[in-house]
Amino acid sequence: MSEDAPKRVAFIAHCLLNQNSKVEGGAKRPGMWEPVIDLLRERGYAIRQMPCPELAFGGARRFWGVREQFDTPVYRQHCRKLAKLVAAVIAQHAAAGDDIVLIGVDSSPTMGIDFTPSAPHWSGKPDIVEDDSTLIRGDGIFVEELKAELAERGLPEPRSTGIRHWFADYDPDEELQRLGALLR
Amino acid sequence: MNDPRARRIAVVADSLLEPLLEELGSADFGIIQLPPAGLDAETTAAWLEQTAEHVAEFRRNDYEIVLVDDGLHTVELEQALARLGVPPLPQYAIQPPSTSRLTPET
Repeated sequence: MSEDAPKRVAFIAHCLLNQNSKVEGGAKRPGMWEPVIDLLRERGYAIRQMPCPELAFGGARRFWGVREQFDTPVYRQHCRKLAKLVAAVIAQHAAAGDDIVLIGVDSSPTMGIDFTPSAPHWSGKPDIVEDDSTLIRGDGIFVEELKAELAERGLPEPRSTGIRHWFADYDPDEELQRLGALLR
Repeated sequence: MNDPRARRIAVVADSLLEPLLEELGSADFGIIQLPPAGLDAETTAAWLEQTAEHVAEFRRNDYEIVLVDDGLHTVELEQALARLGVPPLPQYAIQPPSTSRLTPET
């Protein structure tokens, strides 16, 4: 990486740049989630796309899932392996004094920042007609592992927020304000 | 459930992401970003390995995938794809500027 003046860098959930990585039925746009991408460019942030742990683990045809289904030792090991890659890149930016932010997806059991979906009763035959999961406070599995990896390396947690485009009461203006405050 | 994904993906060199983001977005590509220059060899190799795993999974499910390459990781990416049985990706043809911009005003 260059030794230039400190930069602004945003580590973003994979699906924000690649909607194809969403579970089937989960994409909101043909290619990317432009509201975030456009704002990052407008504010002069370089984009660093993180891997999609769910795509790599469960494949493109995986079912929708909640935190309780993903929270297994093997999935955490998978997430930690990817988190080590992301942390290595964050470390270089941190060493350069760059301004680093993290943007996740608050409806994801993996990439949630402030919220993550929960349904302790989900298991077995995949025939849930209506999504009766609830959003609980907390990080997704990957974000937890990334924060743990950063802590082990002595790196600070980046400022962060999550995209909420799957919330029932999603408010694009609130999200833009929240993102705007993050990208100071 | 309505899902508007275009099922087309561009694997894009880090150096070309910013200049081509608008063009690729207009063509409904989702993007997989290749690692930046300057990482240590181990991290770069591991990053390309997970990129190849993403690509292989999309190919297995009949997504269109192209490569927007600057030559930085070409060989390593092809090797990572080959290990998963995926042939080299077709190159994306960068669109020339509109000829209308070259027409003098009268």
